[in-house]
Amino acid sequence: MSKFLATFSQTYLSKVRAKSFMISTLIIVLLIFIGANFDKIIGIFDSSEELTTIKVEGNEAVAAQFETVFNALETDISVSENDGELGEGEALLTIEETEPMTFTIEADQEIPGDQMSDIEMALGEVQRSATIQSLNLSPEEAQRLNATPDITYDIASAAGDPEEEEATASEGDGMPDINILNMVVFYVTVIVMFFIIINYASQIGTEVAMEKTSRVIEMIVSSVPPVTHLLAKITAMISVSLTQLAIFLIAIFAAIQLFDFSDLISEFGLEANDQTATMIVYSFIYLILGLILYLSISAMLGSFISRMEDLQQALLPVTMFSLIGFYIAIFNLWGSADNLLVRISSYFPLFTPFVMPLRAMNEETGQMPLLIGVAILLVSIALAIWLAASVYRNSVLSTSNGIFKNLKRVRKE
Amino acid sequence: MTLEIRNLSKSFNGQTAVDHIDLTVPAGSMYGFLGGNGAGKTTTFRMILGLLQPSEGTITYNGNKIDYSVTNDIGYLPEERGLHPKLKVEEQIRYLGQLKGMSKKEVDTKLDEWLERFGVPENRSKRIEKLSKGNQQKIQLIASIIHDPKLIILDEPFSGLDPVNVEILKTAVKDLNRQGATIIFSTHRMEHVEELCESLCILNKGKQVISGNIDEIKSDFGQKEIIIEGDHDVEFLRDMPGVIDMKQIRKKSILKIENESYAEPIYNEIIKLGYFKRFQVNEPSINDIFISKVGHEL
Repeated sequence: MSKFLATFSQTYLSKVRAKSFMISTLIIVLLIFIGANFDKIIGIFDSSEELTTIKVEGNEAVAAQFETVFNALETDISVSENDGELGEGEALLTIEETEPMTFTIEADQEIPGDQMSDIEMALGEVQRSATIQSLNLSPEEAQRLNATPDITYDIASAAGDPEEEEATASEGDGMPDINILNMVVFYVTVIVMFFIIINYASQIGTEVAMEKTSRVIEMIVSSVPPVTHLLAKITAMISVSLTQLAIFLIAIFAAIQLFDFSDLISEFGLEANDQTATMIVYSFIYLILGLILYLSISAMLGSFISRMEDLQQALLPVTMFSLIGFYIAIFNLWGSADNLLVRISSYFPLFTPFVMPLRAMNEETGQMPLLIGVAILLVSIALAIWLAASVYRNSVLSTSNGIFKNLKRVRKE
Repeated sequence: MTLEIRNLSKSFNGQTAVDHIDLTVPAGSMYGFLGGNGAGKTTTFRMILGLLQPSEGTITYNGNKIDYSVTNDIGYLPEERGLHPKLKVEEQIRYLGQLKGMSKKEVDTKLDEWLERFGVPENRSKRIEKLSKGNQQKIQLIASIIHDPKLIILDEPFSGLDPVNVEILKTAVKDLNRQGATIIFSTHRMEHVEELCESLCILNKGKQVISGNIDEIKSDFGQKEIIIEGDHDVEFLRDMPGVIDMKQIRKKSILKIENESYAEPIYNEIIKLGYFKRFQVNEPSINDIFISKVGHEL
């Protein structure tokens, strides 16, 4: 155990103290703080200021109608008569009775987009009732003119599941009902997992390969069993990645404590639903299991090679499979999140950690597939570690290259 | 603390690297493995350390199989040198020391002593990649002996070093042996074995050619060498009984005789000729023994 700890602490400390670790962590923490203040940063660059008052000049009846319509929109802007002065946060609306009516808005500053669209909407309404009046339409005719089209979606589900069809139909808008907070959890999980895998796969591969190519491994395995050594290395690298993850989470937590998020939350509608807790728990489990699986495989691939130049080539499968898994997850978010590709790929061990969080988002999925996914990953991890350990034990002293040669060696020994 | 190797063989893909080796390394002795490239020295060492499984035969240390429960008592300097290039000397030694069950503090004290002894205390906090090859080799030797092992296996410890460093290393190895460590080392330099070892094993293409105590091997070998130096013509000695071979280099004649009993009649013959500067009976060199057994030089 003490030898395990010796390798573990040596690997862990040297990685955590490395400049690359510190710099990459710092950059992400900075990005988190920038993200937390995104609305304020936009505010700095946005020269437009909110309007507080619109002063109206022109036909009184039209002005009164504008006021009624505009107030119904429940904005923060008040409407008043023109008193000849235009102060800060004030705009002047001039109405000219042409056909159609001409409206001129005057202001000393830029008007924010959302306020502009409120004003335009109200003016459109004013124009429309003026037109209705001028055409002498009866109230029924006016009502008919204002009627919205009645659209019904009848879309066949890809999976052909009758229950799902019903669910889609009941939603009525043709898009899957995605909770924004769950989506954020999903995106964060998948993106963090992908980047940690890409980053740490190459790091653990380098660690193992460098020890092997520098031949120091012979001194090491004469002191500690290769399997213990490899496991200590994998554990250390996973701990380094989790340390980095923990720093990010602390940064997020600190950002929540330090800054006012209410605007950001209300703007994006980040609200938990029934599925959020399940989603967070499973995403975390899949994140951890995914890291362990991919890092174990990377350690094995690292032990295949005898020259550092071959490392990237050896790690290609890790990059490839994690990229495919990542894309399957990301690209199916906005489609039908439970289609056949998602279902099948969620049971393929290398894709499971990416795709299962997507399925966890959908309450239709139920607990069973998610638990099966966890079981598949646990078995795969055990298998990957066993294979990595056997390959490692037999390949540390060999200088032959190539995955197949080394696999053959495992079979023979 | 005796190391016993019985009937040890190892083959890779049908090729025999080590072929039925049988030897005993007595506790506290200095044992030399002599052989050219591909003789099977490194493979034998790796089997002793348990890094390779023998195809046949057994290895015991104090009557027990060598496994990871006894590795703290063993120090190993591999033939292929290598350390973590990015680590500092102290970090590397601390790590390897801890793998041998030492505490950080113990490693630090010992490391200072050894660096001082090898005359490189300034290298302590340098990165290994910044050191010269010879200095890296010193650091690796320190790594393999810092935990005061009872059994030390050094694979080609002197190769690639300049004569000054070879001497420093030899002295260190002798001291370790004097302090009670059993030392096994391999080399292809006969003179190192002759100088340092009490016992040896000569390997040739995986086969054990000779093994045992050097003095006994030499006396059992029987053949002796006589060196005669003088102005007289001694060509007639070639036909004397017991003379196997005779070489003449200017005024010096070197005779190989079957055993020491033939030396006296030769001496009696040449003194009849008058004054000779030198008449010397020598033990055979390891090189002679090797050539006579294998048929070629190492």
